[in-house]
Amino acid sequence: MVISPIHYVAIPLLVAFLIPLVAKIGKNWARILPGLTLAYLNFVSVYLMTKVQETGIISESVGGWDAPVGINLVFSPLSGLLVSLITGIGFLVWLYSYQFKNVEKNESQKYFTLLLMLITGANGVILTGDIFNMFVFMEITAISAYALTAFYRHRNGAEAAFKYLLIGSLASTFMLLAIMLLYAQVGTLNMADIASKMDQVSSGMKVTIFILFLTGFGIEAEMFPLNGWAPDAYTEAPGPIGAVFASAVVKAGVYAMARVVFTLFGYGDSPVEILIIMGVITMAIAEFSAFRQEKLKRMLAYSSIGQMGLVIAAFGLGTKAGVFAALFIMVNHALIKSLLFLSGTYMVYHSKEKLIAELNGMAKELPVTAALFAFGALAIAGFPPFSGFWSKVYFLIAAADQKMVFLIIMVLLVTTVEVLYYFKVINRMYFHKPEMELEYRRPSTNALISMFVLTAVILWISFFPDTVMGYIDAAANDLVNRAGYINLVLNR
Amino acid sequence: MKKYVAVVLLLFFGYYLLLSFLQLDFGRADERMAVSKDYLHESVATNKVANVITSIVVNFRGFDTLGEVTVLFLASTALASILYRRNKPGVKVPKERILTSASHLLHIGAKVLFPISIVLGAYIFIHGHLTPGGGFQGGAVIATGVLLMILSYRKFHVNHNIVSWVESIAGIAFVAIGFTGLIFGTSFLENVFPVGTLNALMSGGAIPLIYIAVGFKVGAELIGLLDNILLNNKELKQ
Repeated sequence: MVISPIHYVAIPLLVAFLIPLVAKIGKNWARILPGLTLAYLNFVSVYLMTKVQETGIISESVGGWDAPVGINLVFSPLSGLLVSLITGIGFLVWLYSYQFKNVEKNESQKYFTLLLMLITGANGVILTGDIFNMFVFMEITAISAYALTAFYRHRNGAEAAFKYLLIGSLASTFMLLAIMLLYAQVGTLNMADIASKMDQVSSGMKVTIFILFLTGFGIEAEMFPLNGWAPDAYTEAPGPIGAVFASAVVKAGVYAMARVVFTLFGYGDSPVEILIIMGVITMAIAEFSAFRQEKLKRMLAYSSIGQMGLVIAAFGLGTKAGVFAALFIMVNHALIKSLLFLSGTYMVYHSKEKLIAELNGMAKELPVTAALFAFGALAIAGFPPFSGFWSKVYFLIAAADQKMVFLIIMVLLVTTVEVLYYFKVINRMYFHKPEMELEYRRPSTNALISMFVLTAVILWISFFPDTVMGYIDAAANDLVNRAGYINLVLNR
Repeated sequence: MKKYVAVVLLLFFGYYLLLSFLQLDFGRADERMAVSKDYLHESVATNKVANVITSIVVNFRGFDTLGEVTVLFLASTALASILYRRNKPGVKVPKERILTSASHLLHIGAKVLFPISIVLGAYIFIHGHLTPGGGFQGGAVIATGVLLMILSYRKFHVNHNIVSWVESIAGIAFVAIGFTGLIFGTSFLENVFPVGTLNALMSGGAIPLIYIAVGFKVGAELIGLLDNILLNNKELKQ
């Protein structure tokens, strides 16, 4: 059996169905098996990423029928980059939460099944070349996300999950309506085939379909004003799941949005004003809200929304430089925000309110975790020479190329706010005396390993950005090159 | 005031959405519908499946169906993890789900209908490639039979162990059939089994096999869901 992109979906699904059976043999297998699967998928990532550099985009058909008739998976530099990123972080989150749940109860089995399916769903959204298939994987991602939000069965968790469920169902409905209209116009569901027939669609219909897609994917991508679910879901979900939300769920939503804008509609030739405007509004409102938050995870959630606003605005620039900056920010955000969530979780582990004010003097009690959190905070706010700085610089260059002065001013302003609120936390951790009993928990060895790996990767990108920029550049080329994608998938 | 603005906005967007949907012309058969022509032709010519819908659902877009089955699996996992209620000390738990017993009519009727619904459900998913219906519908019919029994007999028990075994094995069977395509053919879920002749029970290769697996899976999943919703107390189950 040759290693191919289908492994990202088929093997986790097999494992997910196997888990209830192996759990009967030994409860421990229910948490070991997902980890083994994710480790194997990381190997697949490495193998396919080297292959894609040698031979170009891999398009694999499913069900024995070629592209327009059957469903296909596309492993391109772009989808490969994101899938490798998600799978890698998924493995680290698995390692982090290995001792997270009591194995004797069924809870750990459900937790790890849902975690594996969340990552599989996001990978499926990114790999598929078929718009309806993308919808199905979006559903898989969303349902696992709802369940994980409500995982701690308390009142707030249920409320957050229910809110997410309502908004998420609305998103699915909009996507489905858009797909329906599109299918009635072009008679095909394959994205490359749709893209090649897009000029047959009347402009009025195009606008309707575009708005429906933008709303549907905007909900998953945390675009303003559709992001009401995000702060609650991030706050109430188990800590490591916040990291997966920031690195997998949202990334899948943003990827889908970019695919629709650039490949399906081919709007990449000129700036897409709607994306820039929505991105800037999202960014500004989220970062100012983050400044006002008193709870740690809520602040991180708003910061995550703000970063997504930046990404959406960068995609909106429409140029290759803009796409490059957007992808660079996505990679950095996935890594750094995961580190922040993973380290932040332990600092407020036993606290009821999980307030930032409770972090006073944490650096003395948990020196390593606090240092990792502070490092993450500096990196994401864009402190030179850390990786967040490089991605923001590339964004500013891309915006300057388009002579968008207002955009540059907004980004600089918002970055200042970002620096302020992260410094607030660092200040409390390092320079305040504890006022009360601290409610932290010592991180387990696995958790420390996964946080150190993340830190090492972020440091590597900070000091040797060239090594990653090659991959990101190839990915940006892939998204901008619409004709190349169409021709390759349809075998022309 | 806010409400009126919302209503006006909704009407505005609703009107434009409606306009787009009124533009659709259904049942058109021009050159734009190339893919559906292929579906119609290949279902009969290559797959030898009389029910074209089944051929599309299980073969051409089988990957989507695998996804949908997973969605159902996740929904039941999620429900099981959310709905479980801890027993608070001091709160009295009813010993049986239904406090008043069902009428005599329902007792007798359920006994007659239960085996029929099982057989009908099985018939629907076994003949999914020949007649309308398939795995999803057949599974739903079987689950309805179980629901009828739960409603009419106070002490009717679903063996949770068996349900979860059936669920897992059916899911594994679906993915395993997919992998035979990858191993013996060129792609995942490819129909590598002999397809037989059109309209025979043994036709369509992997298609009826997948639909039988889906039937078992959907049936078990829905029964598990009913069990979880109607009897969501771990203590009562034992």
